[in-house]
Amino acid sequence: MSRGLRLADWASRLVVYPLLVFLFLAPTLWMIFGSLRPDSETYQYLFPFGWHTLVPIEWTLDHYRTIFALTESRRPTNFGKHFLNSAYVASGIILLSLLVNTLAAYFFARLRFPGKRWLMLFVLATLVIPSEATIVPLYMVVRDLGIQNSFAGLIIPWYASPFVVFALTQFMREQISYELDEAAMIDGAGLWTVLWRVLVPNIIPGLVTVSLLEFQVVWNMFYWPLVVIADRDLQLLQVVIGGTVGPNSLPRGRTFAGASLATVPVVLVFLLLQRYYVQGVASTGVKG
Amino acid sequence: MAQRFDAAGATPAANLLSRVFTWRRRQLIVAFLFVLPALINFLTFRYIPIFEAAYASVFEYSLLGGFGDFIGLAHYERMLTDPVLWRAFQSTVMFVVYKVPLQIVLALALALYLSRQTVGTAIVRSAILTPMVTSLIIVSIIWAMIYHSQNGLIQSILLSLGLPKVAFLSDVNNAMPAVAAMMIWKDIGFSFIIFVAGLKGIPEMYYEAAIVDGANRWQSFRHITLPLLRPIMMFVIVTQTIFSFQVFVPIYQMTQGGPLDSTKVIVYYIYQMGFRFQEMGYASALSIVTLVVLLTVSWLQMRVLKVDE
Repeated sequence: MSRGLRLADWASRLVVYPLLVFLFLAPTLWMIFGSLRPDSETYQYLFPFGWHTLVPIEWTLDHYRTIFALTESRRPTNFGKHFLNSAYVASGIILLSLLVNTLAAYFFARLRFPGKRWLMLFVLATLVIPSEATIVPLYMVVRDLGIQNSFAGLIIPWYASPFVVFALTQFMREQISYELDEAAMIDGAGLWTVLWRVLVPNIIPGLVTVSLLEFQVVWNMFYWPLVVIADRDLQLLQVVIGGTVGPNSLPRGRTFAGASLATVPVVLVFLLLQRYYVQGVASTGVKG
Repeated sequence: MAQRFDAAGATPAANLLSRVFTWRRRQLIVAFLFVLPALINFLTFRYIPIFEAAYASVFEYSLLGGFGDFIGLAHYERMLTDPVLWRAFQSTVMFVVYKVPLQIVLALALALYLSRQTVGTAIVRSAILTPMVTSLIIVSIIWAMIYHSQNGLIQSILLSLGLPKVAFLSDVNNAMPAVAAMMIWKDIGFSFIIFVAGLKGIPEMYYEAAIVDGANRWQSFRHITLPLLRPIMMFVIVTQTIFSFQVFVPIYQMTQGGPLDSTKVIVYYIYQMGFRFQEMGYASALSIVTLVVLLTVSWLQMRVLKVDE
């Protein structure tokens, strides 16, 4: 590029970059700032559009007191309880996933078994089963097992993941040489010991990446808890928040506060570990 | 390993053979135990639902009474004359058509535009990825307010630009494009990451060679970038089509299928049938048909995109 062109390019980026950042962050900022200001202010500065349409003048935590049921209200909803439900279910799925999928990945990466390829196909073929379109049948199965309306019904159907099995199998195959296993075996280590003492410590980055992707998917799930949980006390944060807002609701600080509460953990985790996250998506194609 | 040699040293040959055999079988069983928990889970919660749905679709089925009389293909016949179903399929296809091509073109454009590391690129990239990690239900709630016909953020911006207010979600013609636009905003990060990774994988020397040969930027893009991105492009198109075809949450939260059924998509219709009207049998039949349609569409896409390579 000539010097003039490069300058023009640089100048255009000065305009385009802030616009892009605004486009992608404004809704989230509107939500977070809206949760920290009185509702009257939100409306007062809505027209015309300006700095204070987004940024509060008077900062307040009142909306957060409301959603944690710390203020007087006719129908108090304690979002804190539902936040814990979500945290509980997300940790349950991730811990079980790490255990079960790691075991399966070890099988596929290292152990000898006739017809192993077909078993891998059996696992990977589940990727093409559209999940949202088959929620009704899944519900029927979970109901047959009698685990609907419980944390078990939220956790058990989702902890085994073809993405995670596949990703961890790749990690083990590509990142750890088989000689390491053999050396441990000659020293008398069994399969179990080899897996947990030799392989697992060497795929920690991989385990972090898949946990991160799973956390995001599980924390954000909506359709499944919506149909499988009937008891409001067991319900997850996302569904409870959805239930407090109708399609025609006006912007309200209370809603913004609940929405921020549901968003901030996952966005924070993402910003801290963005590199792992991007690698994970790029290599496995997992979608949130 | 050690066990095996001990056994070999201590027993007569005939005995040895059977011991080695059982040892080998035991090894296989032990190996299989590692994969068994995952396999049982996939079988129970991914495959069995499909069989159960197929079964439920040809029987009378209710949540309380369980399976009833065999009714054959009655549910499938009902589909042929269900006007709501046909509108739902049309709406779903419209949504996919609004969303997928535009999202892919924009994601590729952004990936090309932000491919070189300049000051601020990292910030813009993080911004693009933020909606992707935010939950869809929260995004839907916030965007319903952004689109609000009276007090929405967009109305504020329009007014400041001297433009009149626009009804988005309450307008029959605007509702679906509005939802699709939001979903592009939400999902573009996913395609973006994959394109960025794909572009990184193209060796710089190809472009240098092209410049030597006198190619301009469009020609390098057309003859180097696009062909080399083809496998990635196919992956993005196929997965995005499958995901978009199953859009549910924004419809549930923002429009509930309205106005006038204009945004009633297929998965929302299945949800209503199964969980609102308790027609699990018909909902199962609809799930099966949707599954078959989706598998066929992905298969066709893969065929078409591969064939002219």
